[in-house]
Amino acid sequence: MIPSQVFTIATRIIHQLIRDRRTMALILIVPLVVMTLIGLSFPESSVLDYIAPALLATLALFFSFLLTGISFLRERSQGTMERLMASPVSRLDIVVGYLFGFFIFALTQTLIVLLFTIYVLDVHYYGDLWQIFVFQIVVITGAVNLGIFISTFARNEFQMVQFIPLIILPQIFLCGVIWPVEQMPNYLQWLSAILPLTYAVDGLRDIMLAGKSLLDVGFELAVLVGFAVIISIVAAITIRRGAAS
Amino acid sequence: MVKKELARLAVEVNKASFSYNNIKAIDELSLQVPSGISFGLLGPNGAGKTTLIRLLVGLLKPKSGSVRILGKTPSRKTAHLIGYMPQLHSLYTELSVIQNVDFFARVYQLTDKHKRAQRVEDAIRLVDMWQRHKDPVLKLSGGMKQRVSLACAIVHNPPLLFLDEPTVGLDPELRVTFWEHFATLTKQGITLVISSHTMDDAAHCDRLAFMRDGKVIAQGTPSELQQATGKPGATLEDAFLYFIHREDRSDS
Repeated sequence: MIPSQVFTIATRIIHQLIRDRRTMALILIVPLVVMTLIGLSFPESSVLDYIAPALLATLALFFSFLLTGISFLRERSQGTMERLMASPVSRLDIVVGYLFGFFIFALTQTLIVLLFTIYVLDVHYYGDLWQIFVFQIVVITGAVNLGIFISTFARNEFQMVQFIPLIILPQIFLCGVIWPVEQMPNYLQWLSAILPLTYAVDGLRDIMLAGKSLLDVGFELAVLVGFAVIISIVAAITIRRGAAS
Repeated sequence: MVKKELARLAVEVNKASFSYNNIKAIDELSLQVPSGISFGLLGPNGAGKTTLIRLLVGLLKPKSGSVRILGKTPSRKTAHLIGYMPQLHSLYTELSVIQNVDFFARVYQLTDKHKRAQRVEDAIRLVDMWQRHKDPVLKLSGGMKQRVSLACAIVHNPPLLFLDEPTVGLDPELRVTFWEHFATLTKQGITLVISSHTMDDAAHCDRLAFMRDGKVIAQGTPSELQQATGKPGATLEDAFLYFIHREDRSDS
């Protein structure tokens, strides 16, 4: 991996998104609309307190997955990936470059949603902001690479969007976002144990609601880091397949 | 002596084959391209031109046989020696002309800021797009995008350039302009390998290879290929048909 190549790719992604102002506005506004609707749907503060950390993790997963997936798909359909693969850039440079490029937006989004949830929706919150951020970085890393990986199976944007009900929706239902995992049938609890959002939701709830530290949620963090590493490797391996097809 | 001969060959393909899911795209193809010339790969759609270029730039690996560029097997280590203009425009449409060209200059490790800025400007000027260098690619016509795509391929000043159907979809006037750009590049000593399916393009090349069904059915200078038909005043189209019929006869 060459740091200058990673930087080049990351800055290009940032420039691309900044120039696409409508997308930028949607990235920042849509999560706030979603949070407001949910806030209005659950007037009891205890319910909202319980759901807010889970939504923070879900939004990070959803937007990072979708934005990266579609960006990567366009990279292939526009032919720029073919050009990149014929250049001195390595597959790892591309994956890590994408990661850093999207970090800026995903973390900005996290910050805005977090501040909105705390100060506008009046959600109670105990953990340290920096610990929430570190945790979200790990969630976003996995989501960005999941997006890259899944995009190799889609030929166009329509197909990419079809992966949302397949990859994201089941996680929302099965990972304790809306109702506790313990209330689900046994076989679904087994399924939830292999889904990354389960650990993201548990970890963020522990930090935000119980004021626990990153060390306290070490197990959840380790599972998410493991997922991020494995999916990054898989994403890097599958890039060439997509470029040459 | 042998080494010197090899160095003079920009491209050397020896009995290379490649298949997509058992469909042969390149069939024991052999080809030699001397350095410093414009070399045309001519053939109908599906002849294997794009697959051959993908083998030459290292995007694909031959299933059998060998492919060498500038005496080396194509890989990431040789990537800086080649420029590649794919069939699609292959540009970031949200970014401006200069941002696109600068991005590829960085990708090709032109690290010195001032030298890179100069190279980027030179490449954009060469394709007559400097007057639009701040415009987003999205707002450019198809022909202009082709020119920017060419600028991205040449910005790192590679000695060997692969251009996949660079003139497709261009109006006749712009086509002439493109060939003027190509002539400028060969004058600088750059080897150009250009694929096309139109005979208008073929006439501009120093040497040609006629391709069909993943094979080279004839190669030589345009006049050599025309003379091979034995008909005075034969066009390159006549020459292409002559070699196709000859190939069909030898097959039967």
